[in-house]
Amino acid sequence: MTLDWLFGGCCGPGGTLVWTTEAWIVAVAAVGVVLAIVLAALPRPRGGARVAEIGLLAAAGAVLLFAVAGPVWVQEGDRVEPGRYVALVDASRSMQVLDGDGTPRSDKVAARLARLPGAEIYSFGDSLRPGAPTAYDLGDTDLGGALAAIGQRYAGEKLEGLAVITDGIDRGGLRRRVLGEADAVLPRLNGPLTIYQVGEDGGRTDIAVSDVRAGGFAFLRAPFAIEVDVRAVGTSARTLPVTLTRDGQPAGTKTVTLDAEGRGTARFEITPEAVGRFIYEAATPVTDGDAVPANNALSLAVRVVRDRVRVLQVCGSPSFDQKFLRLFLKEDPAVDLVSFFILRTDRDMGAGWDSSELSLIQFPYEKLFSSELWSFDLVIFQNFDYRPYFANNADELLGNIARYVKENGKAFVMMGGDRSFDLGAYAGTPIADILPVQLGVTGEALDADPFTPRLTDGGARHPVTQLVGDPSENSRIWSGLSALDGLNLSRGASQGAAVLLEHPSLKGADGKALPVLAVGEYGAGRSMALLGDSSWRWSFAEAGEGRGNQAYLRFWKNAARWLIGDPEDQPVVVEANRDNYQIGEEVRITTRVRNVSFAAVVDAKVDVTIDGPGGRQTLQGRTGADGSVALALPAADRGAHRVKVVARGAGGQTVGQAQTAYAVTTRDPELEEVEPDSTFLRTLAARTGGLYVAPGEQVDPLRNPEAGRRVRDRAETPLYAAPLVPLAFGLLVSLSWWIRRRVGYR
Amino acid sequence: MREPTRRAVMLGGLSLPLAFRARAIGPASEVDIAEIQLASGTVSRPEAWTRLLFELLQSTSVEAEPRVVQVAPDDPALFRHPFAVLAGNAKLPPLSEAASQQLVRYLSYGGFLFIDDTSGERESAFDTSVRAMIRKLFPTRALTTLPSDHSVYRAFFLLHEPVGRVALHRTLEGVAQGSMHPLLYSRDDVSGALDRRPDGSDAFPCTPGGELQRREAVKLGINLLMYGLTSNYKQDQAHVEQLIREGRLE
Repeated sequence: MTLDWLFGGCCGPGGTLVWTTEAWIVAVAAVGVVLAIVLAALPRPRGGARVAEIGLLAAAGAVLLFAVAGPVWVQEGDRVEPGRYVALVDASRSMQVLDGDGTPRSDKVAARLARLPGAEIYSFGDSLRPGAPTAYDLGDTDLGGALAAIGQRYAGEKLEGLAVITDGIDRGGLRRRVLGEADAVLPRLNGPLTIYQVGEDGGRTDIAVSDVRAGGFAFLRAPFAIEVDVRAVGTSARTLPVTLTRDGQPAGTKTVTLDAEGRGTARFEITPEAVGRFIYEAATPVTDGDAVPANNALSLAVRVVRDRVRVLQVCGSPSFDQKFLRLFLKEDPAVDLVSFFILRTDRDMGAGWDSSELSLIQFPYEKLFSSELWSFDLVIFQNFDYRPYFANNADELLGNIARYVKENGKAFVMMGGDRSFDLGAYAGTPIADILPVQLGVTGEALDADPFTPRLTDGGARHPVTQLVGDPSENSRIWSGLSALDGLNLSRGASQGAAVLLEHPSLKGADGKALPVLAVGEYGAGRSMALLGDSSWRWSFAEAGEGRGNQAYLRFWKNAARWLIGDPEDQPVVVEANRDNYQIGEEVRITTRVRNVSFAAVVDAKVDVTIDGPGGRQTLQGRTGADGSVALALPAADRGAHRVKVVARGAGGQTVGQAQTAYAVTTRDPELEEVEPDSTFLRTLAARTGGLYVAPGEQVDPLRNPEAGRRVRDRAETPLYAAPLVPLAFGLLVSLSWWIRRRVGYR
Repeated sequence: MREPTRRAVMLGGLSLPLAFRARAIGPASEVDIAEIQLASGTVSRPEAWTRLLFELLQSTSVEAEPRVVQVAPDDPALFRHPFAVLAGNAKLPPLSEAASQQLVRYLSYGGFLFIDDTSGERESAFDTSVRAMIRKLFPTRALTTLPSDHSVYRAFFLLHEPVGRVALHRTLEGVAQGSMHPLLYSRDDVSGALDRRPDGSDAFPCTPGGELQRREAVKLGINLLMYGLTSNYKQDQAHVEQLIREGRLE
């Protein structure tokens, strides 16, 4: 003991001496010690006492150098400690479900842990956490992930055992693999597995909508199916009514016959009549004693889009312009084209041909522009003069087209020629109200000089004239396109319209360049005017120059997309950041406002109305520099919510409107199942060589008697700090000093 | 059925400049015909094509410019005229690479070419060289006989047999691209039936059908122009259903 004290610790055999000080420090110290000894020895005569004095002093210096060198005595070795026991406790919300005795499953955990004294306890939900659960509020139970995490944490160690306390409602994939894949790869376990099931099988009633499927989107006017899976436990009912609502309005009811396991599927066939985002909710009735009423309803957002754009092309005279536009429209698989070309007029009747020789049909204009009109998304008048056909009911049929645009949100295009715009006598008709150019030109209504149109500032921004993404390249392409053969003259752009291409030299009475291509929004719809009949040159002449026809195709694709109101091409776009929210979560609604030229509208007033089961809520905001504003509100009431946005400019004029929808649910994904899954737990135990313990059974866990862990020991004794060092140094210096005094020196 | 006389056709053509004529915005956009000329083997029949354009103006709503321009197959000006014809009666020289490439591009991007064998013979050197030319232009697409319900036979007139100055073959052949045929070929000298002398009289008699056959050739010519403009328009469901309803199609 005294010896250990002198050496500053245990310096047993089998160790090694390690010097911890840098060599150069030791060298400097050695030089200092030698110099001190030399100075002490000079300039006195030699003698026996003198030799003893210097020798003792040198020994003291050696002790000092030994300490400076930092000697440490290191002893290393291995030892084996007993194996540890690990317990995993399911801390998910499904553990709160009540058993038949009226207590939650979580109450049974303590009794199970009592059989595992000394176990290192972890709780798990979507991740692994050290310690027993303090609350059962985790979601996304992932038993496979927890077992894998334990495997990593105790890698290289044989555990005495691993116990899992759970209801078996795993949502992380392990259950699916264990029950569905015979050769599934399971987590590596470090010890024998004992599974304690908590939660008794049966004894509770729960009816749930377990899934709603629709594929996420549907096509306008095309039937699609919504399939609703329901599940019932603890009930003798063999059928279940399932109701479907769209944005809170009834959309259908079906009666589902349940199979032996209490499962069934209802199938609803829906034909959407409008594009946009809609919330469908499937629900089953909540009965007395239903263990989880919140899982009796499930919402689903469905985006309705157009599959094919129905286009009506009416052309007053076959021409190259008509030919190339038809080629484009006919070859586009997204377009369902109906063409009517006027091949013969009254003026052509005198050529001497009998009508039986002709392959002509009557132009069904009355049907087209009354009952059939509404089925089209876009109507194109290409050099078409309505007067020979609409003589008796022009106001009605042309009025239908104006209403079709303004009230039904559809699209209209007028293209130039000698029978179009003012030459088609459209001034003063309902069509004039939906044209982005002003009619009523007096005098010559055509200019036949070739010209290359000029891209306006609005055209540089607008999606219709974006041939490529880079603005300078886009401008270069437009300026390099083949010249057009002439222009239908107009009195300039209509109020609120945007001119995208303009004539390089011809000007209107207001001094502004005459429009060549203009667009406008009228009520809920859109229209476009192309005041020429030679846009085909952007296709054919360009191809002749070896540049292909991409400019022409891109222009018309852009135009069709903008005209039919692709959601991304609306002046006002609103979206919620998610489709579904839990009660209490924040709903974030972002509105983006652009003008007809697609420039961001700054400081626009945005009024947001949210209609839901709890009534109407309103929010207001103003757009920032990027033309957008984000507003938030809490999700308070369960059900579908429709969001309507109206954006107004600085002058109070309406820029546009938009809608979207979202759903709020009380449904907890963790509680979609309430029955413990004993099948899964039994199978998992069997496939891992473990032990399954049913609720209420009193069985000790499996233990591995050979479990243990090898521990590597390392003991370090810092000899430089041992008491022996200052003692030896002091003794040697004192003796040297004593001898020095004895021979008469100071 | 009324039979048009040569006088009626002529009067129709002559009266057109005096009557109201629909006009495109610029004359360059109006329908005209480009006559492709090679160094040998081809014939130029501007009077035939001008007559066809007059007939088109007289009978249909198409805004046409009775203008025929001669172009070489490698001339970039070809792309100002989406409707082109190539008529000939003898062996054609091989097309240059540039001419071949331009013709393929022309037909791929919306141009239309009508080839007319004017030899009036069952077998001709022109026919052999046309087939070789088409094989070179479209090595993966065959020249095939058009079915009787093809759009060109109902583009304006309902036609049962395509004939020209002669009626030896009574079929049209074509090269398909998608659902359309941008190249059609007749071996019955259609332009011969349309051609006129400077005094306005017909240049050639039609055999064996005489003036009735010429009338059918005029109808075919108008249908060819109409097909070049409207492609497969007449295959649209609305038209087919209506014609069947009226008993004009089976």
